[in-house]
Amino acid sequence: MTTALCDLPARELARRVRKGEARAGDILESALARIGAVEGRAPSPEAYLSQADDRTKVHAFITQTVDRARRQADEIDKRVRKGEDPGTLAGVPLAVKDIFCVRDTLSTAGSRILANFRAPYSATAVERLEAAGAVTIGKVNLDEFAFGSSSESSAFLPPPGNPWDPTRVPGGSSGGSAAAVAAGEAALSLGTDTAGSIRQPAAFCGVVGLKPTYGRVSRYGLIAFASSLDCPSIAARTVGDAALALQVIAGADSHDATAAAVPVPDYSERLEAGVAGLRIGLSPDYFRLRYPDPATGEVRDQSIEPDIEAAVRRAAETLAAAGAEIIEGVPMPNTRFGIPAYFVISRVEAASNLHRYDGIKYGYRHPGTVAEVSELYRRSRGRGFGVQPKLRILMGMYVSAEQYEQGYYQQALRVRTLIRRDFEAAFDPGGASRLDALLTPTTPTTAFEIGALYGDSVLMQYADLLTVPANHAGVPGLSIPGGLDHRGLPIGVQLLGPDFAEGALLRIGRALEALTAHEPWRATRPRVLEGLGA
Amino acid sequence: MMVDYEPVIGLETHIQLNTLSKIFCACKADSWGEPPNSNICPVCTGLPGVLPVLNELAVEKAARLAAAVGAEAIHEESYFARKNYFYPDLPKGYQISQYDEPLATGGTFELPLPDGSLRRVRIRKLHLEEDAGKTVQQPGRRWIDFNRCGVPLVEMVTGPDLRSADEAAGYLIRLRQLLRWLGISEGDMEKGQLRCDANVSLRPAGTDILNPKTEIKNVNSIENVRQAIQAEIARQRRQLESGGTIEAWTLDWDEETGTLRKMRSKETEADYRYFREPDLLSIHLAPEWRAQILADLPELPLARRQRFVEAYGLPAYDAEILTEERSLSDYFEQAVGALGGESKSVSNWMMNDVLRLLRERGLYAGQLRLTPADLAAIIRMVDKGIITTNTGKDLLAKVEDRGRRPEEIVRAEGLGQVSDEEALRALAQTVLAENPEQVSAYRAGKATLIGWFVGQVMRRSEGKADPQKTREILDQLLSS
Amino acid sequence: MPGPDEITPEIFVHLVHLAELELDPEESEYLRRQLNGQLRAIREMTAIEVDPSTPITSHGVPYPPSARPSLREDIVIPCDNADDILGQAPETDSRYIVVPDIPHTDLG
Repeated sequence: MTTALCDLPARELARRVRKGEARAGDILESALARIGAVEGRAPSPEAYLSQADDRTKVHAFITQTVDRARRQADEIDKRVRKGEDPGTLAGVPLAVKDIFCVRDTLSTAGSRILANFRAPYSATAVERLEAAGAVTIGKVNLDEFAFGSSSESSAFLPPPGNPWDPTRVPGGSSGGSAAAVAAGEAALSLGTDTAGSIRQPAAFCGVVGLKPTYGRVSRYGLIAFASSLDCPSIAARTVGDAALALQVIAGADSHDATAAAVPVPDYSERLEAGVAGLRIGLSPDYFRLRYPDPATGEVRDQSIEPDIEAAVRRAAETLAAAGAEIIEGVPMPNTRFGIPAYFVISRVEAASNLHRYDGIKYGYRHPGTVAEVSELYRRSRGRGFGVQPKLRILMGMYVSAEQYEQGYYQQALRVRTLIRRDFEAAFDPGGASRLDALLTPTTPTTAFEIGALYGDSVLMQYADLLTVPANHAGVPGLSIPGGLDHRGLPIGVQLLGPDFAEGALLRIGRALEALTAHEPWRATRPRVLEGLGA
Repeated sequence: MMVDYEPVIGLETHIQLNTLSKIFCACKADSWGEPPNSNICPVCTGLPGVLPVLNELAVEKAARLAAAVGAEAIHEESYFARKNYFYPDLPKGYQISQYDEPLATGGTFELPLPDGSLRRVRIRKLHLEEDAGKTVQQPGRRWIDFNRCGVPLVEMVTGPDLRSADEAAGYLIRLRQLLRWLGISEGDMEKGQLRCDANVSLRPAGTDILNPKTEIKNVNSIENVRQAIQAEIARQRRQLESGGTIEAWTLDWDEETGTLRKMRSKETEADYRYFREPDLLSIHLAPEWRAQILADLPELPLARRQRFVEAYGLPAYDAEILTEERSLSDYFEQAVGALGGESKSVSNWMMNDVLRLLRERGLYAGQLRLTPADLAAIIRMVDKGIITTNTGKDLLAKVEDRGRRPEEIVRAEGLGQVSDEEALRALAQTVLAENPEQVSAYRAGKATLIGWFVGQVMRRSEGKADPQKTREILDQLLSS
Repeated sequence: MPGPDEITPEIFVHLVHLAELELDPEESEYLRRQLNGQLRAIREMTAIEVDPSTPITSHGVPYPPSARPSLREDIVIPCDNADDILGQAPETDSRYIVVPDIPHTDLG
């Protein structure tokens, strides 16, 4: 049984198109056929009435840009025929998280308030991917304005389902991204990661999720959530594909003053170099969860799921056998403050970033007559925003109010320094650990059921406990598949590294991927793909 | 008992910088007179996903102003902050401004007062920020134009150091002069390039307490600022004298009716929830850059005025006129240099005829084709008697129009002064012969008619007659 | 100084007003409870003794001079689709964006 085109790695697809062995048009049709088979009904912002199919299909795409994709594919095939360079991602089907503006397409942020917004410009990351030949299949679903860890809070329902078990969440906020890639509906997805929003869904859906260093990729065109934490990120099925995609989007941008002027290395060059001599650390602070009980406020301390811990330890053994040095007991003592600090910092920035949605310049405006402009704001925002944005806005208002500012926001920014210092100490070439990377679980649990956590914002947020420290510190993070749990659900293992060390993380990830290529769990496929022809 | 109240006035000015592009995007900074919402882009209209990118020249111009007002500190690192509030002309729902880490702190603005003393107005803060859009009132609704969103502004706030509406107006006049002098803004209030909010309170004269103040906004000319402040001082005085108190209102000046209107109470003003702008890095003013800006600072207007008085022996009034605008003062100095140091003549000629020419043509001295060397040449020819004064005055316009050197024009048109005694005598005799009544009147005692006779001879000679000699000749003829 | 530990209904109403939002009663109660739950979590962080000399971290990564992108040169680049932007506005008139009136009180 040959692999369907849409299931091939992006690297292989681009190779074939560039060599003339495959047409971009055929790859597109393969992806569209897969979508037809697994996608189910399109999510919509109309009043939601659940249907039987909802928990058996993926529902990843808010908008499918088929005509546009066909034009893009035609253009690539034409270039190949003329002997012109079609780009390093020629013909690769791409799903773009609907948090990015794509010119002349609906760019909704998963919200009613932008349900009719047709962006007049494209995000830099999207432009770069398309310039490299990627074919944008459409915009995928997400938590509204990227607020969430399950993609359930989208205004466009039904929410996306996890291809491994569609009664479960694909994770969030880039749930549509991870789900589309896992289901073969796209080979790559451009998502975002603010507290783990690409790594956690990647772990839940058994794909690769790469959060670059903050500032490595331009945020121009990324509808802002938390400006100092947001990172455009990649979901892919292989580590090599993630490297290929990062190569295209990384680098300074005249439209983004925070996009670092750090040179972009060749991420594929040393991909197969192996891990001999690398120092990879394990930290006890990443194997425990500390959070306040939502009812009593009492601090609970519990370990992560045993299957997950086991998967990480197996990964460590695999790397050790391949020549890496594993360093145990690396202290990362401020990990536990990641979520509380995040509650404050992200809310202050998000509340401010959401001020612009006022019904005046674009998006939803309350249609009735109003006496004065303040009424227009309240009606438009009241009806346009879902509950999760309202929660973040109100918290942001509260903790940034002048009289409380010193206590909450300034304190959180200092705690952020402490979290950053944990990483600096771990990676310091002259320090005690001198790590090249830290190996941790990506998430404390595997994919939970749709509806299980939604509504409890504290528990939901703690799903990001192991990923958010990297956002505070700005360091890069890579989640790769590390096995399946006893229920057959994917487990992700995470690698965290120093600033701009994506190359090293990809290399270690690639080694793990290669060394586990023939393990039995690799043969298992997502449930939605069962029974399909290829 | 009648308390003697003294006004306490502070001014908050917003200065539009004259960069080519806006502060955070590449749209034009000056879109005066263009169709609404035509000078916009995703960034300055606050579309989802956009980011600001700082204009280097805006930083430089702001730093130049800070240096010119002798800022105590022009900080090497300063930060932008978000000022969050909802208003239709503010597309992002926050203004990118500076809060507690501004570009510069401290400084003094020296304001010469009519009595010759100097009011030292403290500068409390000087920072960069972006402009908002414009609102046009319509019946029951408002129209918004975002063309102006994102124009670079410097906000400059004084201490409560001004003591009258006239002083406030004087401050704005001097500030406008400085802005033009430094080349950072035209400072034209009618075009919104300089905006002013005035904080006004009263206190018993001689005390140093600060009472609640009102804020007057939306005043769009220096004269209106004067009138609005005067009206508010009068209103507060009436209020206090009748036993009332002053509340911290925000007031709007209605220019048509010349009245103040209450806008909104300061107490209910939103908490702006300032925090550092995460989309921008710090403004890094490297020591070399800062040193360059300070080194490039020109001699400032008041210093130059003083130097003109001392070095050229000019009366204060003349020095004031000649240093009102920078290119005019440069012109003066160059003309004096070309004339070998003869400052009095140059001053006379410039304050009368050159200024008139500039006004008529709507030009700055620096835009004239009539160069300082040309002016010096003309003055020299008049002084040497080669041409009459009137001819000289006419020459100014001729040189400006044709761009040819004055000596050339004199030669080409034969404008040389007629000094030949015989020729003059002949003209004089003709004039006297044709005007017997005036001759009689003169001999009867109306001595002033001599001027009239001279004028007649000048007319007949097309302005070329040497007036001195003409007068001597007429004297002779009339007394015989 | 961190604020009162409980966001009371009064404080909550004030926040909703500040945020220019409108909520129905169910939403309000749910949100208020969630906020207070989050505050309990935050309390853990605000209770940490952080050395006052600890600097704040704005972006995680430092931006040493070599990593800082240069400032923008003062050059005009007109946007090629200003009308597309204007076309996004729900209501326009003569190229202006139309909004309801803003309250204004006349002084006697």
